[in-house]
Amino acid sequence: MRLPLLVSAGVLLVALLPCPPCRALLSRGPGPGAREAPQSPQPLDFFQPPPPPPQSEQPQQPQPRPVLLRMGEEYFLRLGNLNKSPAAPLSPASSLLASGSRPSPDQAAANFFRVLLQQLLLPRRSLDSPAGVAERGADSALGGHQEAPERERRSEEPPISLDLTFHLLREVLEMARAEQLAQQAHSNRKLMEIIGK
Amino acid sequence: MSPNFKLQCHFILIFLVALRGETRYLELREAADYDPFPLFSAHLKRELAGEQPYRRALRCLDMLSLQGQFTFTADRPQLHCAAFFIGEPEEFITIHYDLVSIDCQGGDFLKVFDGWILKGEKFPSSQDHPLPTTERYIDFCQSGLSRRSIRASQNVAMIFFRIHEPGNGFTLTIKTDPNLFPCNAISQTPNGRFTLVVPHQHRNCSFSIIYPAVIKISDLTLGHLNGLQLKKPSVGCGGVGDFVELLGGAGLDPSKMMPLADLCYPFHGPAQMKIGCDNTVVRMVSSGKHINRVTFEYRQLEPYELESPNGNSIQEFCLSSF
Repeated sequence: MRLPLLVSAGVLLVALLPCPPCRALLSRGPGPGAREAPQSPQPLDFFQPPPPPPQSEQPQQPQPRPVLLRMGEEYFLRLGNLNKSPAAPLSPASSLLASGSRPSPDQAAANFFRVLLQQLLLPRRSLDSPAGVAERGADSALGGHQEAPERERRSEEPPISLDLTFHLLREVLEMARAEQLAQQAHSNRKLMEIIGK
Repeated sequence: MSPNFKLQCHFILIFLVALRGETRYLELREAADYDPFPLFSAHLKRELAGEQPYRRALRCLDMLSLQGQFTFTADRPQLHCAAFFIGEPEEFITIHYDLVSIDCQGGDFLKVFDGWILKGEKFPSSQDHPLPTTERYIDFCQSGLSRRSIRASQNVAMIFFRIHEPGNGFTLTIKTDPNLFPCNAISQTPNGRFTLVVPHQHRNCSFSIIYPAVIKISDLTLGHLNGLQLKKPSVGCGGVGDFVELLGGAGLDPSKMMPLADLCYPFHGPAQMKIGCDNTVVRMVSSGKHINRVTFEYRQLEPYELESPNGNSIQEFCLSSF
């Protein structure tokens, strides 16, 4: 009689003991179900700070950080005039994707991106816009110079972004999905060939 | 009922309750150990395991939704390039530098961004991401190969790169890892179903659908404590407590989108809403005191639905964006 009571009490204690909060991200190191090869480098997730720099570089390392912390504004790197609708030249490329075979989606995708880049890069006068001025500033500042004036200029430059419409984003996403499905079909075909041996 | 039998029943009940929180771990463990080919011979399994990873050339502007190895080699100066990576909502994206040959001193750069950023708008937003914006950029020219593998905090990431010298470039390997409790995610498809669970975490989580969509919420649980229903569930709304909000907007950043509906009380049963905006977001705000869960389905709005709204729909705000 006492033994079942003690066992029940023990289970109750275990069930109600406070456990560490569940975290969606794993810390460095293999988790309970991880199957990563031990020799592969453990990925550093974004929660972890960068590893401490070597002692010799430490005096220089903190210098960019306070400059970057002052960056509070955002802009987007204008790649071109997006007022032009790329819908017309894109539709043949999209229809080519319907064939489903592996070579043509790649060619269609290459055509799509070539046209897209042409559309984005055509009007160079967009560099006269304030974003363009900032971009030119980014070009000079990202030359890798470590002098203080360059770092000060960099402190005024907002993070890099991409100027892309939702319509184009969906187009490239759908092409990526088509590529994924084609690759899955290819894997399935190879699997069936292996099974059939 | 004899006291012994009662005790055994209580024991079984307690055991079941204790295990309930672990089932998600067990699911993942089982998935990790799952052998899809149990009847195959060792020879066949070796042949399958020896399959080369998917490889192709990376383009200056690209989107990738599958794992593999991708190489970019500049055939001419490429000054404005970016590549988007997206996985399943229940996955983390990991970017591994296999080979990088760029001239940082000459103005080249290669940066990984934790999330997506478009027209200056970020996903996840600054409010929903644990890191400040500057730390979400990992610059290869600053960190080098000390951070050779970079795992994003969600299922989306992107890189920006600039290469002046033809012949220079880099090779990346993209992998995905399972995410036990996905918090921020972008859907790859305009149709689907998802359950957002935030267990005792003080964080805000967003699920983004970059299409005009109909959201059908089938279950909302707020304020449960280890599976036991609280008599007084968490009362959110008004920006306080735990709640779910539906957002619509023309940009990527949920913090800049218009809240269209607040769901503050748990309920079961479908509740549907049409959102005719470029981007539709289901966002859960959690205090960390409870386990919150919302299950919803979504499908893309048809063109005829966009033209003639009826029922529970809010489109006036987003019509101007079309």
